[in-house]
Amino acid sequence: MRLLTHNMLSSNIKGVTSGFPLRLEVEKVVEKQVDFNADFLNNMFVKIEWKALVDASRAMGYADLPDQTEPSMLDSDEFLKKFHHALLELHLEEGALICPETGRRFPVNKGIPNMLLHEDEV
Amino acid sequence: MILDFSRARRYFYRACGSFTLPIVITDSVFQPGVFSTMREVKVDGPSGVQSTPEIEKKYVHRVYDAIAPHFSSTRFAKWPKVATFLKSLRRGSLVLDTGCGNGKYLGLNPDCFFTGCDISAPLINICADRGHEVVVADALNLPYRTGFGDAAISIAVLHHLSTEDRRKKAIHELVRVVKKGGLVLITVWAVEQEDRSLVTKWTPLTEKYLEEWIGSSGPCVRSPSSVMLESIPETEENDSGGQLKDSKEISNEKLQETIHLSSQSEYDSVASKSGKNIENQQEYFVPWHLPYHRAEVSGASACALANGLAKKDDKKGAVVYNRYYHVFSEGELERLASNVDNAVIVDRFYDKSNWCVILEKTL
Repeated sequence: MRLLTHNMLSSNIKGVTSGFPLRLEVEKVVEKQVDFNADFLNNMFVKIEWKALVDASRAMGYADLPDQTEPSMLDSDEFLKKFHHALLELHLEEGALICPETGRRFPVNKGIPNMLLHEDEV
Repeated sequence: MILDFSRARRYFYRACGSFTLPIVITDSVFQPGVFSTMREVKVDGPSGVQSTPEIEKKYVHRVYDAIAPHFSSTRFAKWPKVATFLKSLRRGSLVLDTGCGNGKYLGLNPDCFFTGCDISAPLINICADRGHEVVVADALNLPYRTGFGDAAISIAVLHHLSTEDRRKKAIHELVRVVKKGGLVLITVWAVEQEDRSLVTKWTPLTEKYLEEWIGSSGPCVRSPSSVMLESIPETEENDSGGQLKDSKEISNEKLQETIHLSSQSEYDSVASKSGKNIENQQEYFVPWHLPYHRAEVSGASACALANGLAKKDDKKGAVVYNRYYHVFSEGELERLASNVDNAVIVDRFYDKSNWCVILEKTL
């Protein structure tokens, strides 16, 4: 699971009003190289919840993202490379996603989050 | 082919071999009486529309879980209309494929980023092995933030949902997860199959299971989920003809009573149904033949045979699974899609036995 996916996932348990961001429980992280796509990064920059990405990348052991951003940073290749790496190249291979409101644990095995709910959660 | 998508149409045209055959129908006949009657029954289960009915668990989810590797090995051809849609998206778009199966459309446009989800973990494992970004999730309850995607696709998914409320909910979810201005492509199997011989291999649910679906206490008091839960006896073929006939006669009487209480148009439609008008039939079991050599590999098939979910066909050398389908009539998908307040239909077409719509989110 990439941090892009983490930034779009939300706990959808019935009654939960703020299911985002899911807290990361990290057991194993892997890195996989991905082709650089500046258009995609520019498009994602406006969608991403920056603090959630920074916190998640730190939980995964990557501390190079700045705490604050502004649109002018998109002109910096150095920034784009860090953004690209954090968003697409870091994978949570084993661990879990924790609902911030209920503490419900969504397992992540072999890089795949299981977001299915139980009957009493829908 | 001429397509008339107005709701109040009196004619529709169906490609039939090499010529176009105009079929005169009335609106009332066009609505499948039994199922429209059932669908209108509003009995909320304990957890409502998002709770998966037993028929989908047994005849969709468990089947795909059991046949995943074989299914995947047969699913590689990319449908040109889907490819055209994906290639038309802006460079850098984030595309959500909900019900992605073996992920054959993930990554189709290399300038976009794709993420897929499916309720079948074995199919999602196949996607992940191919390097795709995927999540196990239910199309009726997508775990995505609202408005995050630039586009979404739902290819051959909605016809596996067994109630209209669930089909509507799935469309709402697709629209919810894309941004304002984002596009959603939905395709579903059509009643109007180009290869008519295919349909003869399917098991119509109303004919075979009518008595059970209607039930002894009538559709007005039984919840749809309980009807589905208990109503599909797989040993029915072993019943004696006499018993079957008796139960059918009884259920037909009940059906007539039920219909008598509803509108005349529904009565008409059921009358035509008894005339075996295939155009009115929308609920089917569609067989999947899993070759023995494939079935032996998977322990799932032994389980499925043991609990009656699948049967052996020694002539074909295959374990036969039934998959539940609600095939869509002309205009049905558009009618459901037009129910969504914050989206408009920007394109609609019929191609290769599928009805398709493209929605644009407006708010």
